[in-house]
Amino acid sequence: MMVPVRCFTCGNVVGEHWEEFKARTREAEEPEDPEKVLDELGVERHCCRRMLVSHKDLVDIVSPYQ
Amino acid sequence: MTQDYEVEFVERGEREARILVRGITPAFANGIRRAMVADVPTFSIDTVRVIENTSVMFNEQIGLRLGLVPLTTDLDDFEIGDEVTLSLSVDGPSTAYSSDLVSSDPMVEAADDNIPIIDLKEGQRLEVEADAVLDTGREHAKHQGGVAVGYRHLQQVEVVGDLGEFEDDDPNILRGVIEEQAAEHAAGDATNGELVATDEFDNDLRNRYPGKDVEVSDVPNAFVFHVETDGSFTTEELVLRAVETLRDRATELKDAVQL
Repeated sequence: MMVPVRCFTCGNVVGEHWEEFKARTREAEEPEDPEKVLDELGVERHCCRRMLVSHKDLVDIVSPYQ
Repeated sequence: MTQDYEVEFVERGEREARILVRGITPAFANGIRRAMVADVPTFSIDTVRVIENTSVMFNEQIGLRLGLVPLTTDLDDFEIGDEVTLSLSVDGPSTAYSSDLVSSDPMVEAADDNIPIIDLKEGQRLEVEADAVLDTGREHAKHQGGVAVGYRHLQQVEVVGDLGEFEDDDPNILRGVIEEQAAEHAAGDATNGELVATDEFDNDLRNRYPGKDVEVSDVPNAFVFHVETDGSFTTEELVLRAVETLRDRATELKDAVQL
């Protein structure tokens, strides 16, 4: 629903990078390459990278059904 | 067992460092690693009193997310079991961030400001009061100060000859840190005894020693630790505190078995 605060595997904090990652790779008019964005954000390990790459925000989808 | 040991920084940063330690046994290296993960305490939210939660998430889910937010910890001023109260109050439409946590003690606050806790829509509201407690990673993973702490042997590369002209040109991948022993064959500037992280030559020994046949071996009793923290304290603090807990336990054992 919301982005996980930490990487499930190693415990590194990944939540703080989510909004920038989302803005640059999915919402920008010219989306950047996620690989490059993750490198620039300093998310190095592939366990942490998959946390951001595979995430989808669901709050907007769930909220009408409260 | 008394043996001389030596500590050297390969890379040094606030949150990430690589440290070379010589003259310790593999068992002791693992002891330090385990102490860094399990025995250095950090503050983490443990109890949450929900005053109002009309968000799309359950109280328990909010509690879990708050528990995972790293909090700055000064280990000189607190003891295991100490509590600090934090509060969070956000009205929708907006997002509650870790920076919205208001602490009763300025020394304990969120280490990262941009962690989204929950997205609130129009008319939704989150108000909680939370107690952060100082405890060790042994008790719960949220109290771990060290993240992805590990070590490798320091490695040395020996040039054993030239590659044949028609030999297979396969990559020769190596990770970790090498101690330069064959500077005369290395590409670029190199001096013997220098510590080189393998990512400097893209982890491929062909780039470092072009056209040479090489053999890699471990340097005995030398370990390169990779230490990363979640922001609760610096890497230096983490390593020193870990070694201190080991020393305390060794002293305790020595006193206990003395006649």
